[in-house]
Amino acid sequence: MAIREIVLAGADDRDLTRLDEYRAGGGYAQLARARELEPAAILAELDASNLRGRGGAFFATGKKAGFIPRESPKPKYLTVNADESEPGTFKDREIMLRVPHRVIEGSLITAHAIESQHVFIYIRGEYLTEFEVLRAALDEAREAELLGGVTIVLHRGAGAYICGEETGLLESLEGKRGQPRAKPPYPAITGLYGAPTLINNVETMATVPKILELGGEEYAKLGTPDSTGTRVFSLSGNVVRGGNYELPNGTTLRELIYHIGSGVPDGRELKAVIPGGSSVQILTADQIDTPLSYDAMREAGSSVGSGAIIVIDDRACIVQLGLRVAQFYMHESCGKCTPCREGTRWMVQLLHKIEDGDAEEAELDLLLDVCDRILGHCLCPLGDAAAMPIASYVDKFRDEFRQHVREGRCPFGGESSLEDVFAPVDQHRGHPTVEVPT
Amino acid sequence: MSQPEQVTVTVDGQEVQVPKGTGLVETALAAGIEIPVFCYEPRLGPAIGACRMCLVEVEGMPPKPQAACTLTAQDGMVVKTALTSELARNAQNATLEFILVNHPLDCPVCDKGGECPLQDLTFRFGPGQTRMTFPKRTFDKPIPISPTISLDRERCILCYRCTRFSEGVAEDGELVAINRGAQSVIATFEDEPYRGRFSGNVTELCPVGALLPTPYRFEGRPWEIQSIPTVCGLCPVGCNVSVTTREGKVKRILSRNHPDVDGGWLCDKGRFAFGHLRARDRIVDPLRRVRRRGLEPVEWGEAVEEAARLLRGAEGRIVTALSGSETVEQAYALAKLMRVGLGAHTAMLPEEISDAVDGFRLPLSAIADAELVVVVGDDPVEERAPIVDLWLRAARRNGAEIVVAGIGGGAAACRRLAGEDDELGRRLRESERAILIWSGTGGAGGAHVAACAEQLGFGAKPDSGVLYLPQTANGRGVAEAWACAADEEAANPEPIALLFVSGDEAASNPDVRALAEQAERVIATTMFQGVAVGWADLVLPGTSYLERDGTYMNLEGRLQRLRRAVIPPAPDELAWLSRLAGHLGVEVSPYPPVVFAELSERAFGGLPYGEIGERADLRGREPLGKVEAPPLEKQPRRRGLRLVRYRPLFSGPAVERVPELQFQRPAPEVELSADDAKRLKVRTGDEVFVRSNGTARRLRARIEGRLVAGVVRVADEHADGLQPTVEVTRS
Amino acid sequence: MIDEIRQVAAQYPVARSAILPALRIAQERHGGWLPPEAFEEVGEALDLTPAYCKAVASFYDMFHLDPVGRHLVEICTNVSCALVGAQQVVEAFEEELGVGPGETTDDGAVTLRTIECAGGCGWGTVVVVDHRYREPVRAEDVPRIVQELRDGD
Repeated sequence: MAIREIVLAGADDRDLTRLDEYRAGGGYAQLARARELEPAAILAELDASNLRGRGGAFFATGKKAGFIPRESPKPKYLTVNADESEPGTFKDREIMLRVPHRVIEGSLITAHAIESQHVFIYIRGEYLTEFEVLRAALDEAREAELLGGVTIVLHRGAGAYICGEETGLLESLEGKRGQPRAKPPYPAITGLYGAPTLINNVETMATVPKILELGGEEYAKLGTPDSTGTRVFSLSGNVVRGGNYELPNGTTLRELIYHIGSGVPDGRELKAVIPGGSSVQILTADQIDTPLSYDAMREAGSSVGSGAIIVIDDRACIVQLGLRVAQFYMHESCGKCTPCREGTRWMVQLLHKIEDGDAEEAELDLLLDVCDRILGHCLCPLGDAAAMPIASYVDKFRDEFRQHVREGRCPFGGESSLEDVFAPVDQHRGHPTVEVPT
Repeated sequence: MSQPEQVTVTVDGQEVQVPKGTGLVETALAAGIEIPVFCYEPRLGPAIGACRMCLVEVEGMPPKPQAACTLTAQDGMVVKTALTSELARNAQNATLEFILVNHPLDCPVCDKGGECPLQDLTFRFGPGQTRMTFPKRTFDKPIPISPTISLDRERCILCYRCTRFSEGVAEDGELVAINRGAQSVIATFEDEPYRGRFSGNVTELCPVGALLPTPYRFEGRPWEIQSIPTVCGLCPVGCNVSVTTREGKVKRILSRNHPDVDGGWLCDKGRFAFGHLRARDRIVDPLRRVRRRGLEPVEWGEAVEEAARLLRGAEGRIVTALSGSETVEQAYALAKLMRVGLGAHTAMLPEEISDAVDGFRLPLSAIADAELVVVVGDDPVEERAPIVDLWLRAARRNGAEIVVAGIGGGAAACRRLAGEDDELGRRLRESERAILIWSGTGGAGGAHVAACAEQLGFGAKPDSGVLYLPQTANGRGVAEAWACAADEEAANPEPIALLFVSGDEAASNPDVRALAEQAERVIATTMFQGVAVGWADLVLPGTSYLERDGTYMNLEGRLQRLRRAVIPPAPDELAWLSRLAGHLGVEVSPYPPVVFAELSERAFGGLPYGEIGERADLRGREPLGKVEAPPLEKQPRRRGLRLVRYRPLFSGPAVERVPELQFQRPAPEVELSADDAKRLKVRTGDEVFVRSNGTARRLRARIEGRLVAGVVRVADEHADGLQPTVEVTRS
Repeated sequence: MIDEIRQVAAQYPVARSAILPALRIAQERHGGWLPPEAFEEVGEALDLTPAYCKAVASFYDMFHLDPVGRHLVEICTNVSCALVGAQQVVEAFEEELGVGPGETTDDGAVTLRTIECAGGCGWGTVVVVDHRYREPVRAEDVPRIVQELRDGD
C-alpha cells in the first residue's frame, strides 16, 4: 500500500528539525506563497480541503478560521494547542519532535489567513524535549527572519488535561486555573484577553503547508469524502508494533492493528478497541472492520476522536478498565461544574464497588444513570468524555459486569492485566490539603 | 442614552418582552417563572455557568440543556424551563442530586437552615431520597478563616461565588479555591486569615452553610429572629442594612441592596462592629461628678435637672461639640435647645462641609459608569468610605481610568486641574462622564473640588460630578440641623462656662479635649465609660445608630431612614433632650417624625418623613451659582517631610470594643513616595524610624507610588506624638 | 529570581500569563517544590497575591506543594501503559526504593509518583525520570534505573 505522507512527509529521509534540511525539502515555500495571497484565498483553500480539526472535535478548520472577525479593535490571536493529553494519544509529540518547522510554517500561514500578529503555542508541560526542539526550530526561523513580524510565544503547561480544552487552555494561558469558560461567548469573538482567538491543534497546523502545496481540492481527494486527508494515528496497548502511523482517513482498524501494528502479541485474543482516545465509546473485536473516518465511526457508535487507537486483549477486565478510565477523569476534572466534579467521583466509587464484587445488579443501572446524568449537562466536554466510554463498557460488556455482581468477585481472580493499577488520584486520597488558619 | 431594543421571548409558552441582552434568568422572572440558580449572581461579573442548576431547553440550540445564566434574551427565542420541558427537568434533578451526594445532611444544626437556598431548592425541585451509599467527603470543620468567618468545607458546593467576590469585586485575591476537581477546597493562603475590608460579604453570597459569620453561629433560627431595615451609621456612605435581632439583641447585620448607594455590599466594620452595643464599659445610667468621690450614678430625673442647672448657670457661654453620629432630629433638638432656649449659638461641628458640592451631586453608582475619575485628598478612599473603593474598582473593570492625584496637596491639585494647560484637566473637561472625588480632611469641605468642577464645566453635565467624602456618618445632616435651628451668628464665648460634648467621636477628639481643659464645666453624652469619665462633670448615656430612629444624610446628600433595631439600655438622646428642653422652656418633641416635620420645611424642602422610604432617593442638584475656590493654605517651608495622618476604617470607639475586628487594624506602616524612598534608600518592608521633636516611631516602610514627594502618610494610631514635620531614617 | 520572572513576563501582553513559567522557576529554585515563600516571591514579581499563586499552582500536577526528593520518578499508569504492565513497573520501583507512589525515600533521594498519560502510549510503559522520558520501561529495567540514580548522586 502506497502511503502518502502529508504531516510527516520527508521526515524519514531528512532531519527536518534543521531549518536547512526543511527548506531543502521545500519547507517555508508555502509560507512565502501564502504571504502573497489574500487571507481569504487561504481560507478558501482550507475550505476546499475540508480539513477538520485533528485535536478530536473534528470541526472544519476553514470554517472556524472564518469566524474570526476581519476587523477587530483588539489584537487577534492564534493559539496552537499542543497540550496533547488524551490518553492513548502521542502524535503531536512526534510531529513536534520530527517536523517542528512544519508546525511553525502552518501556524504562520494560518496567522496570515486571519491577519493575526500573535501566535501562542501552548505545549503540555511534560513535553520538555519537544519544547526544546520546537524552541530551537523557532529560534532558527526567527533568525532567518521567517516570522515576518509575527511573534510566536512558546508557553509550557504544567500538567492538567483540561487545558487541552480550548477555553481551559485560554484561561491557563491568561495565568489562571485552567477551568473552561462558558460558551457563548465563543473564543473566535471573545478569546484570549477578551480578543478574537483561533485555536488549532498541532497536527492541523502541520497539515496546512501541504494543503497549500497540493491545493485544497487535491488534498480532499485523500481519505474519505467526510474525512479528507491523512491522519497520524497513535497505536498503543496490546499490539506488537505500537507507534504513530500517518495513514489516509478511512483506513480500517483491522488494517492498522493487524497489517501495520502486526496484531495482538503473545497469541492473545483481541477483546476490544478504543478507537479515538479514552474519551470515546469502546468497540468490540467484531467491529474492527470499521474505517477510521468520522461518519463510519459514528455509525459504529463511537468516534474517531484524537486518532488514538488502544488495543485491548482478553487479559483485561473491562470493569477494571472502566475504573481506571473513570479515575483519570476524576483526577482531571477541573472542579468547576457540578455534574463532572461530583459525577466522576461517584462513578469511581461505584466501579470500585463493582470490581470488589460488593455491588448489586441495580447498581449497574445506577452507574448507567449517573453517566446519563452527567451526559450533556456539563460546562465542557470532559464530563461527556468520562460518561460516554464508561456507559459503553457497561452496554457492551454487561455480562462481564454482571459476572462481578453474581460471583461477588472479579472473574479474573487477580489475573487481569489491569489488576490493581495505582492511579494518580489515589495519591491524593487520605490527604486532601486542609489548612487550618489560626 | 438610547433605549435598548425590546425583544420578545417565549418562556414556557408565555410571551414576555424584555430589553435585548437581558439575562435569561431575569427574562424568565419577568414572565413570572423562576429558574433556580446557585452560582449565578450578576453582581459578581459575567456568569460562569458552573453549578448547572439553571439548565433549560432552548429551541434552535444544540439538543441538550443549556445554562440559562450564560444566555441572554434574543428576539424570538423559545425557552422551556423544568416546568414544561422534561429535558430541563431531568437536568435539574441531575444537578441537585450531584450537589447533594457530598453535602452533609446536617441541616438541623446548620445556621443556614431555614434561609438556605440549597435547602429551599431541594425542597422544591430535589429528589426525595438519596442513591448515594458511599462515604461523603470529610474535612476538618469548621475552620476559622478569620476571626469573623467560619468555613465548613463539607457543606461547600463549590459554586465559586466567594472566590469570585474576592477576585473580581473586592479584588483582594485572598480567598481562593485550591486543588482540582473533587479535591478542590476554598482556602486562604496557608494559615493567614482572610484579611480584607469586605470579607464578610462572602457569608451572604454563600448559598449553603459553608461560609458563616462566626458571631452568628448558633445564635438564632430564622423563625425566631426579626429583621429591621435601616442604614449603617459608621461611615458617610450609609450602606443600607438589615439588622437581625433576637430577644432584643442585635445578632447579625446583613446588606440590603440599594443599587445607587452600596450595590448590596457591606464592609466588615458595618457588618461586624455591632458587638460594641454590649461593650463592658457601656454607660447605662447618668453619672455625676461628686467632689473627691468621682462619678456616681444618679437618677434620670435628677440628671436632667442637674443638666438644666448647669446649662442655665452658664449664661449662654456654652460651646456645643457635635460628633456627626447624631441623627438629624437629635442634632436639631440639641440645636434648638441651645440656640433658642439658651442663646448659645457656638458649636464645634464635626467637620466643615461646603454647600458648593451639592451643585454637582450624583449617586455613588455613577462612579461605575464613569470614564475618568480623579481622586484628590490625603486619605485612602477605602479607609474613609470603603464602599466607594468598590465602586472605583467596578469603574476600573468597566474600562474607566482612575487617577489618584495630589495626596498631600489636594487643593493645589484642584487648582492645577482647573487651569488651562493641564492635560488631565483637559480630559476632565472633555469627558461627559467624569467624576472628582475628595478623600480627606481639609479641602474647605469640598469647596476646592467643587470650584474645580465648576471651572471644568461639570455643572452642565449630568453624568459628571463631585463626591466629597466626609469623615463622619452624618456630619452633613448635623450641620444642616444646627444651621436651621436659628439664624443668629455664633459668638466666641470667653471664657467658656460650659462645654456640651455630644457623642463618643466628639469626646475622643483631641481638640474637644483641649477645649474641655478651658471650660469651667463639661456635660458629655457618651456610650462608653472609657471615653468621657475622666473629665466630665455630668455624663449622660449615649446610644448607637442601631438604637435610634431618625434620619442620616450620607455623603451624596441622600437623606436616609435610621430605624431602631433594638431598645437602648437607657432612654435615647431625643427622649431626654425633650425633657431637658422642657426645663428650659423650649418645646422639643421626643418623636423623630415630629422633629423632622419641624425642620424639613427649612432644610429639606418640606419632604415628609414618611416619604423617605426604605430605599431613599437622591435629591436633584442644588447649584449655588458661582463657586469661588477658597485661597490656598500656605504650606510652611519645612526641612523634613510633611506628615499626613488619616483615621483608619478599623479604628474608633466602636471598633476598639469588638475583639474579633482587631486583626483588621492597620499595620504599623509609614507610606513614602517613590522619590523619597529612593533618596532615603528605603525599600518596602524596611524598618524605619519616623521622628519629630524627640518622638520616634518605629514603623515598616511601604512605597506608595501615588504620594507626592515630600509627604509621608501614617495611620492615626501609629502617629501618636508625631508633629506635622517629620524625619525618616533607616533603623 | 524576581528579575528573571519579570523578564519572562515581558513576553506576554498581561504579566499574569507568566505565572506558570514563574512557578516553574521558583520550584527549581526551591529544590523541586513550592514552599509558602515561593508563592510570596512569585506574587511579588507578578503583582499577585500569594493565595492566588497557590490557587494556580495547586491546579497543575507538575507543581509540588510538598517537598520532593532529589530525583523524581514518575510512572504512567494510564490505560495504554497499564495494559502492557505499568503496575509491574510501579511494583518494581516500590520494591527497589522501599516507598510507594506519592512517597519519598528516607534519604531524600527519590520521590516516586504515578502519573496520568504522559503521551508515549505506543512505547509503554513510560517512566519519566527527572522530566526525561524513558520508554519503554519494563519491570526488569527498574533496578538499573534506580542504580543509575544512586550512582549519579
